[in-house]
Amino acid sequence: MLLPEHDFIKPRSLAEGLAVLRDAPPGVRLLGGGTDVVFNMRCRLMTPDTVLSLRDIPELQGVDVLPDGSLRLGAATRLTDLVADPVLRERYPALVKAFRAVASRHVRNMATLGGNLCLDTRCWFTNQTKEWRDAKGPCLKTGKDVCHAIQGSPICVALNNADSPPALIAVDATVTLASHRGERTLPLRDFYREDGIRHTVLEPDEVLTEVTIPPTRDRLVFLKETARQGMDFSYGTIAIRADGNGARATRLHIVLGSLTTAPRDLSTAGERLVALGLGDDGIDAACATIRDALGPLTNLYSPAAYKRELARTLLRKAIVELREMPA
Amino acid sequence: MKKGFITLTVNGDAHEVAVSSRHTLLDVLRGKLQLMGTKEGCTTGSCGVCTVNNARGEAVLSCLTPALEWDGQAVTTIEGLEKNGQLAPIQQAFIDYHAVQCGFCTPGVIMSAQAVLNLTPTPGEDDINDGLAGVICRCTGHIKVKEAIRHAGDYVAGRKA
Amino acid sequence: MSSPDDLSVIGRRQPRLDGFDKVSGRSVFTDDIVLPGMLHGRILRSPHSRARIVSIDTSRALALPGVKAVVTNADAPDLLFSDQQPLLAQGFVHYVGEEVAAVAATDPLVAEAALDLIHVEYEVLPAITSLRKAMQPGAPRLHEWAPGNVALTHEKDFGDPDAAFAASDLVITDEFRSPVQHNTLAELHVALADFTNPAKLHMWTPTQGAPMYQMALARAFGLETSQVRIVYGNVGGAFTGRGRAKPHHFIAALLSRHAAKPVKIKATGDEEFIMFRGSGETQYRFRTGVTRDGRIRALEADVSFDAGAHAEWAMILWLPAPYLNWLYKVDAVRYRGRFIYTNTVPKGSHHGGIFGRLSAGWMQHLNHVAEELGMDPAEFHRKNAIEAGHHALDGSDFASCGLKECIDKVVERSGWKDKYGKLPPYRGIGIGIGAQASGGKNAANDTSAAMLRVADDGIVTLYTGIPDMGQGSHTVMGMIAAEVLGVEPEDIRIVGGDSDITPFDWGAFSQRGTFTTGNAVKAAAQDARGQLADTIAPLLGVAPADLEFAHRRVWVRGEAPDAPSRSFSFREAIGKAFNGVEGRSVMGRGFFNSPRPSGSLAYSFGAQVAEVEVDPESGAVKVLKVTAAHDIGRALNPLAVEGQLDGQVFSGMSQVLYEECRMDGGQILNPSRLEYKLPRTYELPEVEYILVETIDPYGPFGAKEVGEGPIVVTMAAVANAVANAVGEMLPQIPMTPWRLLRVIRYRKKRAAVSGP
Ligand SMILES: Cc1cc2nc3c(=O)[nH]c(=O)nc-3n(C[C@H](O)[C@H](O)[C@H](O)COP(=O)(O)OP(=O)(O)OC[C@H]3O[C@@H](n4cnc5c(N)ncnc54)[C@H](O)[C@@H]3O)c2cc1C
Ligand code: FES
Ligand code: FES
Repeated sequence: MLLPEHDFIKPRSLAEGLAVLRDAPPGVRLLGGGTDVVFNMRCRLMTPDTVLSLRDIPELQGVDVLPDGSLRLGAATRLTDLVADPVLRERYPALVKAFRAVASRHVRNMATLGGNLCLDTRCWFTNQTKEWRDAKGPCLKTGKDVCHAIQGSPICVALNNADSPPALIAVDATVTLASHRGERTLPLRDFYREDGIRHTVLEPDEVLTEVTIPPTRDRLVFLKETARQGMDFSYGTIAIRADGNGARATRLHIVLGSLTTAPRDLSTAGERLVALGLGDDGIDAACATIRDALGPLTNLYSPAAYKRELARTLLRKAIVELREMPA
Repeated sequence: MKKGFITLTVNGDAHEVAVSSRHTLLDVLRGKLQLMGTKEGCTTGSCGVCTVNNARGEAVLSCLTPALEWDGQAVTTIEGLEKNGQLAPIQQAFIDYHAVQCGFCTPGVIMSAQAVLNLTPTPGEDDINDGLAGVICRCTGHIKVKEAIRHAGDYVAGRKA
Repeated sequence: MSSPDDLSVIGRRQPRLDGFDKVSGRSVFTDDIVLPGMLHGRILRSPHSRARIVSIDTSRALALPGVKAVVTNADAPDLLFSDQQPLLAQGFVHYVGEEVAAVAATDPLVAEAALDLIHVEYEVLPAITSLRKAMQPGAPRLHEWAPGNVALTHEKDFGDPDAAFAASDLVITDEFRSPVQHNTLAELHVALADFTNPAKLHMWTPTQGAPMYQMALARAFGLETSQVRIVYGNVGGAFTGRGRAKPHHFIAALLSRHAAKPVKIKATGDEEFIMFRGSGETQYRFRTGVTRDGRIRALEADVSFDAGAHAEWAMILWLPAPYLNWLYKVDAVRYRGRFIYTNTVPKGSHHGGIFGRLSAGWMQHLNHVAEELGMDPAEFHRKNAIEAGHHALDGSDFASCGLKECIDKVVERSGWKDKYGKLPPYRGIGIGIGAQASGGKNAANDTSAAMLRVADDGIVTLYTGIPDMGQGSHTVMGMIAAEVLGVEPEDIRIVGGDSDITPFDWGAFSQRGTFTTGNAVKAAAQDARGQLADTIAPLLGVAPADLEFAHRRVWVRGEAPDAPSRSFSFREAIGKAFNGVEGRSVMGRGFFNSPRPSGSLAYSFGAQVAEVEVDPESGAVKVLKVTAAHDIGRALNPLAVEGQLDGQVFSGMSQVLYEECRMDGGQILNPSRLEYKLPRTYELPEVEYILVETIDPYGPFGAKEVGEGPIVVTMAAVANAVANAVGEMLPQIPMTPWRLLRVIRYRKKRAAVSGP
């Protein structure tokens, strides 16, 4: 399983990189830390003509505090550097927890923020070697009109299994996408699509350059449920951001990750909790909305019934943690 | 580029190596430089036996990174820990605490352990767990590996202090 | 001779003799070997569970520059891998992953490209890919000769089970299932064959023992056993996964012969899961009859194994029958076992053999029996446990047995009495017990031999064929030789792992290493010492039997070890022998084979208590602590014994809680170390070790085994602890979060309906 042959390019500036993308899409694959790209290239899920490494682009590096108090995170900053960042650690311990929840330290020493946000969706009928896929037969993502995960599904239902998006969505982070045509900034929430094949709105000639987190004094909680701590994809994650303190909140933003094709907002659950408070009644009422909010789930990596139960568990635990946070 | 020469410094020695875009850093270490200490396992990032340290002394997976990405960079492999014929403290601790069984994972596990020690000479339980979770030691279940790391500080260059 | 308890080396916490090489990256594993002109081989595997091969076209692959050989069944139609199995698929394929063709090329890149160029046309046929479906009445037949898809059966009654059950006051039946599990060896499967000389096949590969590989390859290629050389310097773990040569070994040899170049075949990460011979799906029904006061009268186990498409490893079918006799004093035992064909890869065994997974169910069942009787399970085990001198219904004799002491020790040290039945909800504690043969004799030539030579500088070279897969056998063999010769372990150089050089050794199976090879090494060292004593004694004016050997000295018994003119240093002594008139070069030899026609001379015993916590909301389990007491005979190297215990606690909890090949028809959905879960650093519990050292009369210095005894017990203890935490016997491993949540929810519902 060697890598497929490609042209490897390592631009020294963003402009240089965008120029490559202008001339050569869609056969270009951006490379952050490569921890997912190399894996997928070995499996021939990705066979790019050109690999464009973002590692030496200075514009994509680092954490800065902007004049309005927002934080700007460069997309090619490694997760390890985000975990170690003193400003993030002080202001957003739950965000740091989410970054640290990704894979293993070995992977985080290479992986970038942009790579985690753009991480391709995963499915165990697809994320296999080419021989394996050939034996099973292709699917929506690999060129045929069949979904192996949900019989008859018209769209690919592979999971968004990345750990940092829910937490960043909860704090209303925005992402900036740059191309030779210019730049656009949009809420991270709107970056994701409910389609396992084109799972983000990123255009083939665009680069995610930075993430901006607006200042906030709200509480933030992040939880990840996984088979193994310290080295595993999630069965499910949750991020909740709330104002107020104790059992009172007037605004709640709840985002579930890893259960569906895009991170899922639980807005109805949030409303119930605002109305009833974060006590056990509020939690029960919020949990009762989960089945509808999630809709049909796949059996990918864990059974659908478990995923549903896990969503309730995560919600309950996260709210309890939130209401017990010191003011 | 699709093929070409990269300059890679391994254990302090600079090498000019001909590589193709099909190779990973691991392919270069084992296949081109014949540094067989670093092992090849899953090649997909999940077993950790290919772990080497980057220039900052952090553990990275050589199977999961294109060779061309490493042009101009430096890495340390298991062969580079020994200094003047003396084992590094962590190596000696691995022997003394029986943190080695079959030894196949050992280079990767030791490079992971060394990376933990590079961050802090007196790692806590969570530092050790987090730093070693990326490698599998099928034989020891990591129990004595952790013990060896906890005691690495007792050694100077291969001797118990 | 020193009395057994006056030991200077045995019993020491001896670091591994190969430690320096292993920690410094010097140790050479098979994949580290590159031979001049070596080619890279790859195997084309069946994508189908069952199909007819309509045609194979290899012409395009052969035409690719760099390709030196392409083989299919047409090139070796008579080459059999096992009784009914051609090495390369002949006309039909019977499982996903079956070897269909293979290529050898100058570069891995070319070999990979060549695979893509082989065109195979298949006609897909209906397949049976699960044990349940294969056993259904009216299921289609997989092989002509096997009605009901039954490959083999094994039925054994000891005593009169019908009468014993009839005489029981209480009879309880439980069912249990275990999944497909994979050995996940550290070093992936690899073989390097040099068959360029048709009269000699050299093969470098990790193995648990050379003779079985030699015999199988010799038979396949029409050679004598000695014409096959197996080299296995370092072996990256085995976990029962390297017992026999696998198809890739034969294919590497075949390719090498065709290409007239050495050929290396190395499995890729996922291929390893596809070609594996781990454990198959297994269904168990346990039945036990007891008297009201808790004495076991009758034990019964009925086990159906998924054999895969061919019955390769029939031994696991037979093994449970004797095992059921080794723990309890009972009136009768009944075993019914069957091997069932399915369209899946042929199965073998996982770490713990059949005993580990069996125990995870059987010990839960016995726990259930105890609870029905209103007895503490620890007390139930103890009451029925065998003792030294017991003669079992299957004919086994137990010269030493510390089972009761093990139970007592774990009960005491774990605080069992304060915890069992008294823990808060979702905290659980469980006990398991087990036994293991120290070398089960399954063939007459179950022999280990050893040689050693003493150089005139006092350095001893020991030649042994026992592979060191990590268990530390080489170090222990060095310690045994050092003890007998009165030198230090560091004075022993081990030469191992080359069947052209090392004497016969059946290998590291059935925990025979320490016991059988240990006895052989001891005999070889005694032979050498005898020769030395014969030469030296006259110089000191005493009889050879009056000499003491220890601490690198030889002296007259009863005097000071360094008494002038009444003692020598070991080096002086050997110098006198070598440089004397006789010029003796001291070379010892020895071998050992059990005097029994079959079965084992000694058994290890153990008891463990595990404590766990289950999160009732997520179903996640945390193993908090494992207290392990084992009677392994004398602990020759307690440091290595602890290492063995750690590894088995880890592997045992892993099998009970995590490991499962999740199958989709005939395909594995999780063929990776990422998705096939084994716990990592965070999940490991605290382990407390208690060694109960019964000194076995037959073992070398009283040792028995610690190679697989503990894992069997861990699996039982952890399974029982989780069952205890959720309040219900759990009929299936692994006990994943979703399986536990289902039980927890069901129990909550039931409690809500029936009230408190
Ligand atoms: C063993 C293992 C375990 C893992 N466990 C986890 C886990 O627990 N949680 C988790 O979230 N992930 C996990 N991953 C997946 C992956 O390693 C991480 O998501 C990581 O953060 C990806 O970052 P990267 O920089 O390496 O991405 P890359 O592999 O470089 O890229 C990933 C994707 O993002 C695109 N991309 C990268 N940067 C940009 C950019 N700036 N703009 C636009 N597109 C971009 C790439 O083209 C590619 O499609 C695991 C991976 C492995 C191998
Ligand atoms: S080889 Fe397994 S992580 Fe690199
Ligand atoms: S020592 Fe064997 S896997 Fe670690």
